[in-house]
Order: sequence, then C-alpha cells, then structure tokens
Amino acid sequence: MNSILDLILRLDCWLLLAPLLPGIINKVKAWVAGRRGPPVLQLYYDLARLWKKGVVMSTLASPAFVILPAVTWVALLSAAMLMPLGPLGAGLTFRGDALLWLYLLALGRFCTAWAAMETGSAFEGMGTVREVSYAVLAEAALIAAVLTLSVQSGSISWVTMLGPPMGAGAALLAAGLFIVLLSENCRVPFDDPNTHLELTMIHEAMVLDHSGPPLAAILHGASMKLLLFTVLLVQAVLPMSQLKPLAAGAVLACGVLGVTVAVGLVESLLARFAFRRVPLLLTTAFLLCLFALLVAWKGGLA
Amino acid sequence: MNHAHLNLLIGLAMGLNLLALGTSRLPLLIRAMSAQGVILGVMPTLMERPDWRVLLVAAATIGGKGLFIPGMLRRAMRTVQIDRELEPLIGFVPSILLGAGGTIAALALTPMLPLLPEHANSLLVPGALATVLTGLILLIGRTKAISQACGYLILENGIYLFGLLLIQAMPLMVEAGVLLDLTVGVFILGIIVDRIQRAFDSLDTRKLTALHE
Amino acid sequence: MMYEGVVVGVAVLLLGLAVVAGPWWPRVWLGLTLAGAAAAVGAAVVVLVTGNEWEWRSGFLIGGEGLHVRLDGLSGLFVVLAAGVGAAGAVYSLGYWAERQYPASAARSRTWWSGMVASMLLVVTLSNGLHFLIAWEAFAVCGYFLITLEGEKPAVRAAGWLYLAASHAGTVCLFAFFGLLAAKSGGWELGPMRGDASLAPMFWLALAGFGMKAGLFPLHIWLPSAHANAPSHVSALMSGVAIKMGVYGIVRFSGWLPLPAAAGWVVIGLGAVSALLGIAFALAQNDFKRLLAYCSVENVGIIMIGVGASMLARGHGDAPWGRLALAGALLHVWNHGAFKALLFFGAGSVLHATGTREMSRLGGLWQRMPWTAGLFALGAVAVAGLPPLNGFVSEWLIYLGLIDAVAGKQASALAAMPAAIFLAMAGALALATFAKAGATMFLGAARTKPAAQAHECGNWMLVPMVTLAGICLGLGLAPVLVWPALERAADVWHAGCFASVVVPLVTLGWVQLGLAGLMATAGTMLWRKVRANNLRRGPTWDCGYAAPSARMQYTSGSFGGLAAAWFGWILRPQRMLRRVRGHFPAEAIRLDRVPETMLELVIQPLAERVMQLSTAVRRLQHGHLSVYILYVVAALAALTGLVLLENVP
Repeated sequence: MNSILDLILRLDCWLLLAPLLPGIINKVKAWVAGRRGPPVLQLYYDLARLWKKGVVMSTLASPAFVILPAVTWVALLSAAMLMPLGPLGAGLTFRGDALLWLYLLALGRFCTAWAAMETGSAFEGMGTVREVSYAVLAEAALIAAVLTLSVQSGSISWVTMLGPPMGAGAALLAAGLFIVLLSENCRVPFDDPNTHLELTMIHEAMVLDHSGPPLAAILHGASMKLLLFTVLLVQAVLPMSQLKPLAAGAVLACGVLGVTVAVGLVESLLARFAFRRVPLLLTTAFLLCLFALLVAWKGGLA
Repeated sequence: MNHAHLNLLIGLAMGLNLLALGTSRLPLLIRAMSAQGVILGVMPTLMERPDWRVLLVAAATIGGKGLFIPGMLRRAMRTVQIDRELEPLIGFVPSILLGAGGTIAALALTPMLPLLPEHANSLLVPGALATVLTGLILLIGRTKAISQACGYLILENGIYLFGLLLIQAMPLMVEAGVLLDLTVGVFILGIIVDRIQRAFDSLDTRKLTALHE
Repeated sequence: MMYEGVVVGVAVLLLGLAVVAGPWWPRVWLGLTLAGAAAAVGAAVVVLVTGNEWEWRSGFLIGGEGLHVRLDGLSGLFVVLAAGVGAAGAVYSLGYWAERQYPASAARSRTWWSGMVASMLLVVTLSNGLHFLIAWEAFAVCGYFLITLEGEKPAVRAAGWLYLAASHAGTVCLFAFFGLLAAKSGGWELGPMRGDASLAPMFWLALAGFGMKAGLFPLHIWLPSAHANAPSHVSALMSGVAIKMGVYGIVRFSGWLPLPAAAGWVVIGLGAVSALLGIAFALAQNDFKRLLAYCSVENVGIIMIGVGASMLARGHGDAPWGRLALAGALLHVWNHGAFKALLFFGAGSVLHATGTREMSRLGGLWQRMPWTAGLFALGAVAVAGLPPLNGFVSEWLIYLGLIDAVAGKQASALAAMPAAIFLAMAGALALATFAKAGATMFLGAARTKPAAQAHECGNWMLVPMVTLAGICLGLGLAPVLVWPALERAADVWHAGCFASVVVPLVTLGWVQLGLAGLMATAGTMLWRKVRANNLRRGPTWDCGYAAPSARMQYTSGSFGGLAAAWFGWILRPQRMLRRVRGHFPAEAIRLDRVPETMLELVIQPLAERVMQLSTAVRRLQHGHLSVYILYVVAALAALTGLVLLENVP
C-alpha cells in the first residue's frame, strides 16, 4: 500500500511539475527583457490543447512516427523513476541503475531521431545530425560525471552516489553538468528554442512535422528531461545526505528553482553560439567533469 | 604554509591555462593571462609570513603581470586595430585537449620527480609544468604576434611557479630580473608589432617568412 | 560423461556429410547442417548447464600427435555461437544465394559453409597445438572460398586476396606461437600452464596472431573489404563468428598462459581504441555493408575492453570486478553474433531487393519491405547498446566492471577510466551510426528507381532474421538465464579464483521486461488516441518550397559529416568537388570517400617502398653467368678480407 502511494506521489511529482520548468524559464526571460511574458502554466495549456487535436502525418512516414514519441516518453519517465528525489529516494534502485539511466536517455534520443527521419525532410535531417553528433561529446561528459560520483561514493547506484559531499570538485562538476544540461536540453547557447529559422535549430527542427498528441508527448518528455537534469545537477553538487529529510526536500526544490532561473538568465544574456563553436564548449564541459573526477580520485588517495 | 588555499589558487591558474587555450578571442586571452598574473602574485603572501620583501614581490608581480603588461598589450591591440579573432594553427579543441592531457600527465608524473617532502602534496610543480606547456602550445599554435606574446608570458608564469618552490632559498632578485626582462620584452614587442603592422598590414607571423632575403 | 562427446562427434560427422551432400541436394544439406548444429548446440548447452567438462584423449594419431578434444565452458560458449549463426545462415543462404540466381556458386557456397562451421567447431574444441593449427588453417581457407564466391568481380577477388594475405600474416604468428610453446613445454598438448613464468612473453605472439583474425584496430585492414564484398550470409558468419575465433584465442590463451605484466593494459588500450575508431570509421562510410564491417571492429573492441579489464583484475589480487568485465565481454560475444548476423541478413535482403550497397541510393524502403525495416531497426537498437535489448546488458556488465575498478582506486583505475569514457563515446557514436544507416536506407522517400521498386525478401530469409531478433530480445529481457553459463566460462578462464559477485541481473531483467511492456502499451495507446483524434495524411513540411524532391533528403554523407569531421585526423576523407559556376552551370559533382587509412595510407605506401627496394635489388639477378661468377669471387674475396682482418691483432 505504502509503495503504491509512493509511486503515485512520485509520478505526480515528475508528470505534473515538469512542465513548470519551461514556464519559469520563459518568465525569467520575459522579466529580464522587461516584458510580461506568457503565463507560467502556458505549457500545461499547450499540452491540453495538443492532446485533443488531430494529427497530420507525412505521407512518407510509417506508424512508427506516432509510436516512437510514446516510446521516448516512456524512456524518459523510466529514467525519472531511477532518479532519487532527495528524501524520497528513487522509485527503483539497484546496482548499476545510473548506467541504465544514461542509456535510457540514449534510447529516447534514438527514437526521436528515428521518428524525425521518417518524414525525409532535410530540416529534420539537419536537426537529427546535430542532436546525435553533439550527444557524443555530452555523453563523454556525463560518463565522466558518473565516474566522479561513483569514485566519491564508491557505488554505482544513484541513491548512494548522490548523497555524500563533493568537496573541492563540486564547482567543477556543477559547471560541467550545467553545460551538459544546456546542451542535452537544447537550450541557449547550443540551440535557441524560440527561433523561427529551421536552419539554426536542433531539437525543434527534429519535431517540425509532429502534431497533436505525439507532439504533446514530445514536449512533455522534453520538460521531464529538463527536470531530470536539474535534479541531477542539484543533488550531485549539494550534500543531500547530511540534511534532515524536510530540509533536503526544501534544498532540492530551491536548487531546482535556482538552476531553472539560471538557465533563464543564461538565455537572456547569451546569444546562440555558432555551430562550429559548440564542440569546444562541450569539450570544456567534458574536461570540467574529468578534472572533477581527478579531484575526487586524488582526494580519495590522500 | 597554507596548502589548501595555495592548491586552490594553483588549480585556478591551471583552469585559466585551459581558458587561454580554448578562447578564440584575443581580449579574453589577455584577460586570462592577467588574471593568472594576479593569482600568481597573491601566492607568495600565502607561502611566507608576509614581511615587506614578500609584499613587495607580490605587489610587483600583480602590478606587472596583472596590470601593466596586459595593459600594454591591450594598447598595442587598440593602436594597430587588429582583428580580435585568433587564427589558430592548432585548432581550439585539439589545443585544449592537448593542454588537459598535459595537465593530467604533469599531475601523474610529478610524484616520480625527486622533490622535497614538503612539496609532495603541493600542486606547485604540476601547475608549473602545465603552465609552461600551455605557453608552448600557444607559441606553437597561434599565429598573431600578440597571442604569441601571451604565450611567452604564460610560459614565464610557469617558470615563476617553479621559482616559488625556492622562495625561502632564493633571493627575489632572480624573479625581479625575469620580470624586468619581460617588461622590456613587451616594450620592444609593442614597437615591433607596430612596425610589422605598418610593413605588412597584418600581424600574422607566418608572413615574416617573406623577410628571408 | 561420454554423452556430450558422442554428440559433438555426431555434430562434426553430420557437418562433414553436409559438405559432401552440399553440391547436389540443397534440402538434404540443410537438414544435415541444421542437425549437426543442433547436436553441437545441445552438447555445449549440456556442458554450460551442468558444468561438467568433457575431455577426450585418443590414441588415434594425426601428424604423430594423439587426438585431444576438450569441451569446457569457454569452448561451449563459442560452440553455441558458431553452430547457432551457422544454422541461421544456412537457412538464409537457401533464399539469398539460391540455385536459380547463382547456379555457378550456390553449390560451392553450401559446401564451404558446412566446412567452415565444422572447422570452427574444431578450432574451439581441439586441445592440441598441431591440430589446432590445422583446423585454424582449414577455417581460414573455407573463409577465403566463401568470400570469393563471386570471384568474377575484381573487387571481390581483391578483397579475398587481402583476407588471405592478412589471415596468413596472423597464422605466421600463430605458427611461431604454437611452435615455441611446444618447444618450451615439451609437447603440442595444450592446457593450463600458468605455472611456468617463462612462457609469459609468448602472449604477445598470440595477441598479434589472434588479434589479426579478430580485427583489432591497427590489424583490421582486411576486415572492411572482406565483409563488404562477401555475400551477405557469409558476411554474417565472418562478422558474427569468424572474428570471434580470434577473440576465443585471446581469451583461451590468456587463461592458460601466465600473462606479462603489461598484457591487461595493452589489451584494454587496444580495445578502447578499436571501439572508438572502429565506430568513427563506420559512421563515415556510405556503403552499408562496410559500415557494418567497421562496426564489428568496434564490437571486438568492446569485447577486448572487458577481457583486458579482467586481465588487469587478475594482476590486482583477483578483484571481483574482473569477473563482471569478463562475463560482459563473453556475453557480448553472443550478443554481437546475434545482432550483427541479423543486421547483415537485413543488409543482404536490401542488397537482394535493390542491387546496391550505397545507402544514399536507397530510402523509403520501409514501405516495400516492412519486415526487413523493422528487424533492421531492432538490430540497430541492439547494436547501439540501448535498453531493453541484449546489447545493453553486456555493455552494462562491462561498465560495472570498469566502474568498480575506478572506484577501487588502484593503479588499474587509470586504465579503466579512459576505457569507460571511450566506451561511452563509442556507444553514442554507434547510436549516430545506426540512426544514419536505418534512416537513409529505410525512411523518407526513395531516392532512386531500384529503391522504389524493392520487394520484401522471402521466407527462407525472413525466418532466420526473426529468430535472431527473438534471440536479441530474449537475451535482453532474461539475461539472468545465461548468467550461469557466463560464470562457468569465467571459471574456466581463471579457475575459481575470482570471488563471486552479486549482479542484480534479475532486477535488470524485470526492469527491461517492464520497459518493453510499457513502451509497447504506450505506443499502442498513443496510436489509438491519434486514430480517435482524426489522423490525416499530408506532405512533409517543406518550408514553403514548391518543388521538393527526394534528392533533397539528408544522405548518408551529410548525416555522418558533422561527427566524422572530428575524426578527420585519422579518417582522412578524400573529396572531389566541382561547384556550380556561371549562369549556365555544368554538372556539379561532389564525391566523398573515406579510405581505409591503415591500409591505404600506411601499409600500401610501405609495401610500395619495399617493392621499389626489391626491384632495385633484382637488377643483380640478370642471368649473365660470368657476372654470377664474379659475385662468387667478390664474396670469397670479402670473406677472406674479413678473416684476415680478424686475425690482425
């Protein structure tokens, strides 16, 4: 009974709170620019509207075009179930779940890419190529971060990895993970979610042809991914295990809010980078995580 | 000795090395170099009980490396109106990877060196090696005269870090002498940059090969 | 105890009969091959389940040596692989290389096929150095004849020749290895000889010889052209099984021999480099069979990362993570056999239907060949190591081993850290590679006429593909079933010394099962919802462009270009470009080609230099007798001079 309650609470947390994040980011951007901006709950309205709409499917596309967004969404939701939520712990935890988590994100990427290529549109090809190529570098950074956390905690399961204090490497890890967050969620300076030019987009270019409920699944999945990365970033850097449960919950919530606002500020203050500069930034993220790993390793030896 | 703080500062300097390697903008390169100079200047005050000599050196280093020389370079940059984009011979990603690899190698190799026990836990030696390497990569991999000057200065920062190992034993004269040499060097460079610019309409050192006759 | 032995004997006998029956009666041949394979699998499964090794020494002499056969956990693992893929390929070949279409070579294909499967079974079970070499040679030669089934094409002949040359270069190392081993240990008998530390340097010879067959990175030169030019069922056997014989050799002899201190470091390093560069080369290919071939280099690299890690663990007081890494590597041997055979079969059916290996000439095939498209997609998910399929399970085990090694903070962490990072990058690149392959071949619009007129393959080809896909799914959803077999093989490798490790494979299996179920449910529900909401068909979004054509789609070159450019330093892409110029432009051309760098830019120039040198030396050989006598006199004079000089105090 208790576990069912826990599951429902957790699902609510991920499913209902995730669409809040893009709303907050947009609000911050509007606030910096001195506009009123869309309401914070805009994405919820969009999702509800899309869910009721019909779908136009390209004549070239197979049924996978509709099915794969659902698969992606399930992959992201499962990844969310593996991610601990402060005092709540994770929905499911076992040795090596961090690796499953990484590969679930990869599965989501593969399905999105496949669905994007279904239509044979050159724009979607463009977005797909960028997404899967930049992910190579982001993946290197992520695995370095996972290694750092597991060196720090001597474990390879999120619940124990995300507890202990990080020490000096925390700043490096935070910076590295923040860059990866921006890249994996296609935010400025990697991608401009608000642009109207297909040539310069990554994620948005991939989902151009989607409409109706599949698009709703994609948008909701993307917001869950953003929440996933913010939660990871906050818990990786802050010593959650040393706090009392209530305090940990509060710190987590504040941290997530802080990171979201930071994303919004970055988007307000920076312009999108030229695509040839992207590998450099991602390499930097990888090196930051790598040096965090070395610091953790050295710290353990001394 | 305040090891933790010192190591943190050296770590920052190492981070600035990578920034210098990764940036494609000349002003940022100069800024990274000058920040490194300031950090290096603070270090002696952490290592020694700050008497007047140490403070003098610190002040001179901060003033020279952190303010004066970068100021000169900025002025040179402004007066000859050069393009602020760097043109790399070694691309930015390869050079930053080289720099990181060199830093890791320096960290890994330092325990093999015959060092005094009190330096064993310090990042001074790997930091110095990494900084020297960064300077060399900049010297080899960038074409503009000013960016090469930055390479020289970062190289010198590395030598300065080595010098800090001997801060008790060595009179500060050597460091002062090096600093003086550099200042003169930058003066001359400022003049040469101006001349090159007038002669070639460019600051690309590759074009100096045209001088061979 | 005898039971398994009799069954193995029956298996080899049946395959031998199949060799004889092959040319004349295809159905009889198929029956015999399947029965032989089933017998071999049965025997190996018994060994893997019960853990009873079967060993048989006979007084029957071949080449003066008594026959010695051994079927233990490690052999059993490879017997299952060889017999399984051998059987699947046999069925496939009846449809793919049918008598009607290839009257000249279909009979040869069948004969050599059975011969190859039988000789591979012998390679992994024979336990006498001399007989091992004979079986090894037979297997290599069978491979050559299978690759050159279409010997009338020059490209095929060249590929076969390169294969034969490279294979024999490896065999030379093995001759040296087994010869020296026999000389040092006093006999051709093979078995555990870890006690004699002086044997350790021999490992390098074995690594070179077997590494050549396995296609480890600098030694992989023969692999892409051989796998691409061979008929697809042969490519599947070569890639799924034949290169694993090299893996078998490395694993087997690293278990039996004492290891030099650096062995683990070298093997894990080679593995990491092979994994990353193999898949980088794959990403840059435009020929889908070459792409699959390079992907084999990557997968052998992944296997070698696991094997190298377990060697490192052996040097670190038998750390338990070694067992994880080894189990992962061995499972990957099976997994790669299953999904690579599936992918090559899929590639074969595309080739069969369209007649081209150029991905950029295909497109939109899913409409005409939905089964092949779906099965290829499943194979792509598996090969990219994504859950819930089998590729993920083995990579997960290897990762667990590596990360435990890093967390252990011993010296081996310095090897495990980069290996884990390379593995992750290789995984992401594999995802990009197979997104590209699947998308350009099967999705979008048909780019050429043959692609638009493709047809689905027949049941002979479809059934083995479905079976292999089922195996991929089964190994992914219920990995716990094969764990005892892997443990047994790991125990054979390093008898009982690794501490037992607890792996949450049961949990992983349930999670994967749950994932698969949830994905299926969510997909169906969304599809229903969309149907209920009103589904319309319309043209693809074209940004207002009036006349889109199929040529505007992203091709394989444009898809791979971005990430492949990061590896330009080793890929060395060659480009021919004629831009659009003027008011009435002539035809514009852009050709991209990625050479096999090691072969074309390292080995061939070297060989040319050697040829030049030998041509220069050949001038001495001209046929004038008197000058030859002059040589003799000159040599005598030189020798006399030497002797005299030596005597001068």
